[in-house]
Formats: sequence, structure tokens, C-alpha cells
Amino acid sequence: MPTLDPYSVLERVRRDVERNALRARNGIRLAATCVRPSVGCTPKDVVWRRGRTELWHYRNDDSRVAPSLLIVFSLISRSYILDLSPGNSLIERLLKAGFDVWLLDWGVPDERDAQNQLEDYVDDYIPAGIARVLELTGRDKVNLLGYCFGGDLALLHAAHHPDSPLRSLTVMATPVDFRHMGPLADVFGVGGLDVADVLDADGNVPPQVVLQGFRTLKPTSQVTRYVDLWERLWNDEYVAAYQAMTAWSDDHVPFPGAVAEEVVRMLVRDNGFITDRLIVGGDRVHLADVRCPFLTVLANRDHIVPEPAAAPLIELVGAPDKHELRLDAGHIGLVVGKTAARTTIPTIIDFLQQRSEVST
Amino acid sequence: MAQPPLWRRLYDNAERAVAPRLESVVQTEHFARATALAGWAQATARAQVTALSARVWHLVNLPSGTDITRLRTQIGALDREVRRLALHLEQQQAHNDGRTDGKETDGADARPL
Repeated sequence: MPTLDPYSVLERVRRDVERNALRARNGIRLAATCVRPSVGCTPKDVVWRRGRTELWHYRNDDSRVAPSLLIVFSLISRSYILDLSPGNSLIERLLKAGFDVWLLDWGVPDERDAQNQLEDYVDDYIPAGIARVLELTGRDKVNLLGYCFGGDLALLHAAHHPDSPLRSLTVMATPVDFRHMGPLADVFGVGGLDVADVLDADGNVPPQVVLQGFRTLKPTSQVTRYVDLWERLWNDEYVAAYQAMTAWSDDHVPFPGAVAEEVVRMLVRDNGFITDRLIVGGDRVHLADVRCPFLTVLANRDHIVPEPAAAPLIELVGAPDKHELRLDAGHIGLVVGKTAARTTIPTIIDFLQQRSEVST
Repeated sequence: MAQPPLWRRLYDNAERAVAPRLESVVQTEHFARATALAGWAQATARAQVTALSARVWHLVNLPSGTDITRLRTQIGALDREVRRLALHLEQQQAHNDGRTDGKETDGADARPL
């Protein structure tokens, strides 16, 4: 039978009392929402704007890598996940590695964006963003990086514009086989729901629908997140990270209605990436036409873009210099947290540096 | 490493038992069809209510919510056309004239965030 050491019992009691006091303090702070997480803190300038779309340039006094890196973000969530908090930021790491980083942020779509189509992003905004970067840097190429659905937009751009001045293309957690996208796609694909049935008065898919769709993927996650929080509510660092993460994961933006209809028709029902039936701006588009150096990063434990949805991509692109990086991470873990810091970001940095000019 | 508290271990056990089952349910065709049906029913009910209220407003010669939505859709379409035209003009201008470094485009004044 284990002996009961009075000192260790006392120590445990003392620790529990202390933690409960901290829990009470942090609980009140959270309930009163008096401490808001600082997100997207890296200093940046808006260098171009059209409609809700903005091109951001992150300040870097120590820019050593050329050409510049242009990031294309997804259309359904906020881009600050890439710059979540100081010390836990993909952007910050890229800047420290000497990259000149730019980001195309789509803003918050409203009724004026309801009729945007994929071609608006693929043929208009991305080329305009690239042109602006080239104009301001005086260079003739950019490295393009797309995250999640932003990766799809970047892919479609590179495929539709093989002459686009891309030094390289990197996509992260980018789905191509939409049969494996789970309930999010099945409701429209298998279930036959029309996009028109979920549109709001603005003509967009409301953020609540997107959020509900993501919550359905992990039905117990909402409870588990509160259980995790209660267990570690005493830990200030955990609470700050929790606030930043949950603020982002609950903070979706409306998805432009016409794009949603196009995605369901072309990517979900026709599975266009796999069946090579992609049409952008009236033209047939083939992923085989993506010829620039290419890297795809996918996560084995991704529940939003499951591994089978992203895995076929490497075979579909026509680039002779193409690479795939599979990581033991989740969807978000690719860009924030320990796996991102240890593996994803250094690998991306290494890939890009090998295809760039690095001055010492 | 310290063991998690008893309540946490109980929750984890319960979660491990329940989560995979729930996750496999939401992955089924039946779930997709049921969700689609619920979405369709909700949309149909909303459309009926909207049509009814539109009829009431039109009776007293006032615009209804659907009229406003239609106007907003038209404004949205117009806004999109103007935006695309502006972008195409910008591209065309860049091709024709050749742009000088640092020249600002519409609404492009760099401002710190």
C-alpha cells in the first residue's frame, strides 16, 4: 500500500488552493471578456485596396530573401490565424527568416460580393496583387503561398495563367478531392441541398452556417474545449492561447454566394480538380499546366481538409520540380503551435529559400 | 508526469467512447440527406413567410423586404462590374503605359495598421 506523505499531501492541497484562486480570477476575466487577445499584431501597411480586398505588406527591416512572398488566404475565415500572437505567428517567423511578406486579405464580404465568382479572385484580384507587389519591389517574380481554400485559388490562378510571374507555388492544407471533404461537402453533394437554400439576405453563405458546418465535423469538440479550459484555467499562458484560438475559430466571414454555387457545382458535384473539369472565366483549366516549382503541405490529422482530400494534388500538377510534405498535425497545427514552429515553417522556409536569392 | 485528475480521466473515457460514434454518424449519407432536408424545409418555410409578408406590404403599396433584397442584389452586381472594369483598366494601363515605381493606384495610399 502506498504510504501517505503528509508533506506531499500538504503540497497538493496548497497547489489546488492556489490553482482554484487563479481559476476564479481567470474565469471572471473570461466571463467579463475584459481581456481581449491581441491577434494580428505584426506591423503592416495596406498598399492596395479594391472593394473589400486589401493587399498588406508586413514591415521588415531585415529583408534578405528575394523574390517576395505573397500569401493568398482562404475565403471563409480570418487571415489573422497566420499572425495569431507574438511568438506563435507564421508571418513573424517568415519575417525573421528574411522574407518580404505580403498578404491578400479578402476582408468581410457583403452584398456587393455576393455575385463574385472564382474568376474574380483567380483572374482579377490575385494578378492585381502580384502586379502591385512587383511594382513596389521592382522585381519580376513572386513566390506564391496559398492556405486552405486560398491554396485552391492560387492553384487555379497558376493553372489559368501559366505565364504568371511565379518563382514558386506553395499550398497548405488545400483540398482537391472534394468527395473526401466529409459532411461539409456531402450535404450539398450527396444530400443535394441547394446553395440558394442557405444564403442570407445579402446573398452570401452566412458565417453561422460555415461555423456550424465545421462544428459538425467534431461533434464533441465544443464540450471538450470547455473541459480543457476548466482543467487549465489557472494557467495564464494557456488561457491567452485559448482566447486567441477560440476567437479565431468562432470568427468566420460570409462566403460569397456565387462562389459557393460554383464550388458546389464544379468542385463538389463534378469533383473538378480530380476529373479535370475546371472552368474559370469560361476557359478550361488544367492543373497539369502548373509548371512552376511546387510544394504541397498536408496534415495527417486534418479533420477539416482530410488527408485523402489533399493527397492527390501532387500527382495532378505538371511541375517537374514538385514536392509533398506530410506532417503529423491538424489543420490549424500546420500554421500555429509546436508542429508549425518545429516542422512546417522551417520546411516551407527551406523550400522557398532554395528557390530564392538569399543575401547574407 | 502527473496523472490528470479523476474527473478528467472520466471525461476522456466517456469522450473516447462517444466521439468516434458521433463522428461516424455525421459522415454517413443519411446524415447528409437529413441535414439537406432540414435546410430545405427551413428555406421553404422562410420563403413562405417572406412571400406572405411581401403580399401584405404590397397591399398598402409599400416595398417589402424582398424588394429591398432585389435592389441590393442589383447594386451588388453593379458594384462587381465596376470593380472588375476598374481592375481590367488598371491591368490594361499597366500594359500600355508601363508604370513607374511607387505610383499609387486608387485607394492605395499605404497606411500603417
